[in-house]
Amino acid sequence: MTTLTRLDTVEAFGELREFLRLRQDPRQTVISVCGFTGCKVNGSDAVAEALKEEVRKQGRDDVPVKVTGCHGFCEKGPLVVILPQGIFYQKVGLKDVEAIVEKTVIGGEIIPSLLYTDPRTKEQYKLESEVPFYAKQERVVCRHSGKIDAARIEDYIAVGGYSSMVKVLTEMAPEEVIDEMKRSGLRGRGGAGFPTGKKWEFCRMAEGDEKFIVCNGDEGDPGAFMDGSIMDGHPHAVLEGMLIGAYAIGATHGYLYVRTEYPLAIRSLTRALEQAHDYGLLGENILGTGFSFDLELTRGAGAFVCGEETALMASIEGNIGSPRQRPPFPAVSGLWGKPTNINNVETWANVPVIIDRGAEWFASIGTEGSKGTKVFSLVGKVNNTGLVEVPMGMTLREIVYDIGGGIQKGRKLKAVQTGGPSGGCIPESLMDLRVDFDELVKAGGMMGSGGLIVMDERTCMVDVARYFLEFLTDESCGKCNPCREGVQQMHNILERICAGEGKDDDIDILLELAEYVKDSSLCALGGTAPNPVLSTIKHFRDEYEAHIRDHKCPGGVCKALIQYGINADACKGCERCAKECPQDAITGEKKQPHTLDREKCIKCGVCFETCPFDAVYTE
Amino acid sequence: MARIGVFICWCGANIAEMVDAAAVAEYAGQLPGVVVSKDYRYMCSDPGQRIMTDSIQEDNLTGVVVASCSPRMHEATFRKTAAIVGLNPYTLEMANIREHCSWAHTDRGQATEKAKDLVRMMVEKVRRNQPLEPVRVPVTQRVMVIGAGIAGIQAALDVAAAGHEVVLVEREPSVGGHMAQLDETFPTLDCSQCILTPRMVDIMQSDKIKLYTYAEIDEVGGYIGNFEVKVRKKARSVDIDKCTGCGDCYNYCLSRNKISIPVIVSVADRLDADMKKTLDEILDPAAGRRGVLLGVLQDVQDAYNYLPADALRYVSEKLNIPFSRIYGVARFYNAFTLEPRGEHIIRVCQGTACHLKGASLLVDALGRELGIRDGETTKDMQFTFERVNCLGACAMSPVVTIDDQYHGQMTTAKLLKALEGIESADASRPEMEAAG
Repeated sequence: MTTLTRLDTVEAFGELREFLRLRQDPRQTVISVCGFTGCKVNGSDAVAEALKEEVRKQGRDDVPVKVTGCHGFCEKGPLVVILPQGIFYQKVGLKDVEAIVEKTVIGGEIIPSLLYTDPRTKEQYKLESEVPFYAKQERVVCRHSGKIDAARIEDYIAVGGYSSMVKVLTEMAPEEVIDEMKRSGLRGRGGAGFPTGKKWEFCRMAEGDEKFIVCNGDEGDPGAFMDGSIMDGHPHAVLEGMLIGAYAIGATHGYLYVRTEYPLAIRSLTRALEQAHDYGLLGENILGTGFSFDLELTRGAGAFVCGEETALMASIEGNIGSPRQRPPFPAVSGLWGKPTNINNVETWANVPVIIDRGAEWFASIGTEGSKGTKVFSLVGKVNNTGLVEVPMGMTLREIVYDIGGGIQKGRKLKAVQTGGPSGGCIPESLMDLRVDFDELVKAGGMMGSGGLIVMDERTCMVDVARYFLEFLTDESCGKCNPCREGVQQMHNILERICAGEGKDDDIDILLELAEYVKDSSLCALGGTAPNPVLSTIKHFRDEYEAHIRDHKCPGGVCKALIQYGINADACKGCERCAKECPQDAITGEKKQPHTLDREKCIKCGVCFETCPFDAVYTE
Repeated sequence: MARIGVFICWCGANIAEMVDAAAVAEYAGQLPGVVVSKDYRYMCSDPGQRIMTDSIQEDNLTGVVVASCSPRMHEATFRKTAAIVGLNPYTLEMANIREHCSWAHTDRGQATEKAKDLVRMMVEKVRRNQPLEPVRVPVTQRVMVIGAGIAGIQAALDVAAAGHEVVLVEREPSVGGHMAQLDETFPTLDCSQCILTPRMVDIMQSDKIKLYTYAEIDEVGGYIGNFEVKVRKKARSVDIDKCTGCGDCYNYCLSRNKISIPVIVSVADRLDADMKKTLDEILDPAAGRRGVLLGVLQDVQDAYNYLPADALRYVSEKLNIPFSRIYGVARFYNAFTLEPRGEHIIRVCQGTACHLKGASLLVDALGRELGIRDGETTKDMQFTFERVNCLGACAMSPVVTIDDQYHGQMTTAKLLKALEGIESADASRPEMEAAG
């Protein structure tokens, strides 16, 4: 263990890195346990503790147990990977701990029951790299996933961390750094896709006695958690990216703005900040190069609009997070009126690897207009939910079927929602679309921060639009009229349609309102708020019409328009639904098909979710 | 001896739906002085008016009460009709049982009782009314507006635009009132100076408006049309025509600071020692630094589970940030709450993935089980339930957190079992933390 001493020179840093690198034995056995939310929910903390205890008990305390950042395959958590081979165990419980240490770690055997089996082909996979979920991915931002312990800065330094910063500070002029970023073609990963190098250049050239940089970690899009996992699993990559950016722009102070709903990310970044400070990688005169930069963390407080850059800055300043007119852009007048550069978490995390491997290498990945990779959170009604990183330009079909393993319960894919509340729904017919910034916009979607929400035939698209507008009416800051009133009115109409009280001209009014709100809102929240409505009307107009004209919800979701029933052929009479029904509306003899009394039914859905035989249906 | 007729109007369903007109008529018939009492569908219609005029003549009425709409609507109609058949129009009064009664209530029984009261009052008034004859008196065509806030200014400008002279009186040295102290106005968040300042200039430029600032009303006499008002101009010892508003006299005034020091009562004096200590620990490291408010409020909420009002006042004093701004921030962000919360906090994630997989059913179930709506706390202060923005555990959707413990793939049945678990754990071992 190194003692934490402040490194005063570049040479001292180099010595430390060499020391840490040499100490690492590539052949050493390491047990890596995923410690991010998905696996945590399923009990990974207890598994990790038990593994530590078990290696000690079996006399192998030389084998480190590392709790690492998100491995990605959340669906199958808790995940345990045995390095260096990369043996991939999934759904690991406390009962498996003893066997893992005894058989795999000590005995070198594989435990087949813990391996991943593809539900479609029934094929079993031994190594992480072979599992289809991982095989098609290309990990750039998450390249250290599962290999380093996010709580240890030494792990990061040993795999080359902070070397890009040293390279920049010792070998490159700020203009060269900006030039490198421009040549790499990196575009902002927060959603809009503005070229990062250009943004930095604007801020570099702006006049100001003090400049700021900000990391936007207010990942508010519902259904997206990539930034959360990057902040938790790769906090030092974010810090290093910001240090490089600060040097290029000439900033002396920075802020990490992290939403309060991410306690793990906050803890991880706070720890990373302390460690970087202790080593002298942050603060005054970093490594004796004369470059000073300090960073602090601000917790958000649960306001979606604060993901918008001007609202975010207002929030850091301690004000109500309401956006303001641009220009002036933050690059000219940002925090406290000083030039400020804001980038998204994933953008910052891309910076060190671009410096390390060069702009040309980065630009070789991806499509003509969108370079590099993109991290997506693949969630919803897909078999393999989790975090995936793919090169720009991969088709949605490849992501959903090859990586995501298709739709749950063999149902039909209806649409993929991208870009959160600002994005749109892309229908099944456009699944061969290549995912990059420009193609998605053409299809009526939006890259957004990277949530991919898969919807199957049991999803009601009108309800999806209603859901997003409900979210946006809650989150509208209320400053400008079109967003405050317009989105509310659109939501009212959608509520009515979902309640079976739609009127014939509702669709036309929605389209008209959408145009007004889009054109006249102050910030992007309002400007993009109609997108969920526009894209669902565009691709799923028939569902709207079914609600309005026939009073039917084809997806079987809208409570007012559905009835529950029990399919007598499928019902095995297990009595589970009858036991759970809060209304005692379900009756029947054991092992005989049950019946549901619609008079008593309050449509709570308990029977539907309880039935193991899919015998409960909605119509 | 008064002979009064009472006529109750249904106004179609407008009145009749909420007021039992026949019952009111019957009641009015018993009142002293009333000799006839009738109800009819539309009193303002020709047949309706005929009922009244016939009755005035046949029953020799000396006064009439029409119980119908507002006098603004039909007082002139009925008085004119009554005058035609020889009744002095000022002995006719209207009881407003529509705008003031049927339209304003939802309980038919109580509305009917109120209509009876309104009619009885008007009958008493008519009993005391004297026949009047209109006379013409000269009127000074000049209007006084008291108070030159935004409303007074606008009123003065409107009256002046209509061609009348206006006297505008303001107590303070400057016009503008509260509007001049605001930044933006509700609900449109328009810039308030942009609304106010052009109008301030307008009143100075109008030759119809005579402005008295730093003046108060001592006495109001006279009557409508011919008021006599005594205005006291306070001594200001400044020749307004020469003053440029430089403010030097204000700054150099020797007695200014002696009289204007307000007595500040610090909230610190009434905070209990524990709270003061906790807050000082949060506030001391933050003092003098930029952008600390959000973090401070989060720490205060962590300490108290909510934001107590006195704590916010103390934060305001110590950080020298206006209380209004702190309150605004506390109300704006979802993470803050100004109400104490329950011992156990249950959050249902509202992310898209959770929504698709039935989060709204969980919200419904919690509402049913706990008998509260989201954001509320049970009466016994045991449970608070909140809907919360995406928690980023989408792969485990739908997600519920109970006391910050994540529970994935939640179902209604699992959730209700978890609730039961907490309740029984609390009952048996109150010191134990609720299991996750």
